[in-house]
Amino acid sequence: MIKKNQYFLLFIMTAVIALGVLVEVVFRRPYSFHGTVINPPLPVTDFTLQTANNEAFRLSDQKGKIVLLFFGYTSCPDVCPVTLATFKQVYDNLGEDSQKVRFVMITADPDRDTPDKVSEYVARFSPEFIGLSGNRSALEPIWKQLGVFVEKQDSGSAAGYLVSHTSSVYVLDPNGSLLMTFPYGTTEIDMANDLAQLLKQSKQ
Amino acid sequence: MKIIKLLSILVAAVLATSACGGSSGELTIQDAWVRPARAGENGAAYFVITNGTTADDTLLSITSEIASATEVHMSMGDANGVMSMQMQESVTLTARDKVEFKPGGLHVMFVNLTRDLKVGDTIPLVLNFENAGSLTIDVPVKAP
Repeated sequence: MIKKNQYFLLFIMTAVIALGVLVEVVFRRPYSFHGTVINPPLPVTDFTLQTANNEAFRLSDQKGKIVLLFFGYTSCPDVCPVTLATFKQVYDNLGEDSQKVRFVMITADPDRDTPDKVSEYVARFSPEFIGLSGNRSALEPIWKQLGVFVEKQDSGSAAGYLVSHTSSVYVLDPNGSLLMTFPYGTTEIDMANDLAQLLKQSKQ
Repeated sequence: MKIIKLLSILVAAVLATSACGGSSGELTIQDAWVRPARAGENGAAYFVITNGTTADDTLLSITSEIASATEVHMSMGDANGVMSMQMQESVTLTARDKVEFKPGGLHVMFVNLTRDLKVGDTIPLVLNFENAGSLTIDVPVKAP
C-alpha cells in the first residue's frame, strides 16, 4: 500500500513539473504574428492623395501612427465591404489603441471613384475611416511600390467593368515603412492582436 | 426476449428518422441576408441552397425589383492575393447537396440599386430554377 502511494506521489510531482515547463514554454515564447512580416521594413515613398472635399492626405503627416492600407473600389459589392467590416471590428477590438491606427482605403478605380465617393463609402463603416482617391499618375506609383495589382476586367456584367485587385491589407509602421501584410480573410481577432503587439513594441 | 424485440424496434425507428433527416426531398433556401448599401451603388446577397431532391437542378437566374440588374458572381482569389469577380451564367445544384453563397465567394450582385438597403428592411428575391421553378424569398438586410 505504501509503495502504491509513493508511486502516486511521484506521478503527481512529475505532472506538476511538466505543467510548469509547459506554462513556461507557452508564456515566454515570443509573440508570433499572424500577418506576413516584412523584415527589414520597406520604406514607402511619401505620397499625397485626396480625401473628402478634396482635402489632401499626406502619408508623412501620419508619422507616429500605424497606417492600415486597403485597396478596393466602391462598385465592389463583396470583397471590399467584407474588408471594411473587418476594419470596423478591428477598430472596436482595439479600444483606446484604435486612436493610434489610421484605417485607410485607397481606390483601385480612380476613373469612377472620386475622393468624396470613397470617403462617403468608408465612413459608412466608421466615421474615423479615411477614403482616398487621386489621379492615376498619383496612384500608380503607390500601387507599384507596394506590389498592388490592379486591372480592369470586362465581365459582361451590367455594372460595366469590374476591377481585379490585390485584396491584402498593408500595415505601415509609425515611421511610414511597410512592416506587414494581412492576406484577405485574416480574422479581426488576429489583426487586432498583431496591431496591439506592434503598438506595444513601438512603445519600448 | 421481449427487451431485445423492443430494442430492435427502437433502433429501427432511430435509423429511419436519421435517414430522412438529411434531406427534406425539396429544394430549400436558408440563411439569406443582404448587405446594407445605398441607392446607386452595387449590393450583395447571400444564402444557402440545399437541393434535397434526387435530381440535379440549375439556378438559371435571379430577379429583384431593387436594382437595374441582378447577377450571380463568384469572388476568387489567386495565389498572389489578387481578388476578381466572375459572372456566373448559371449555378449547378447537385442532388442531395448544398451550395453556399458567402462573402468572398459565390454571391448575388445587385447592379445599380434603385433604393437604399437599410438594416431591418426586407427584400423580396425571386430565384428561378430549371426544375424547382420560381421560388420567392424575403431576405432581411443585415450588417455582416
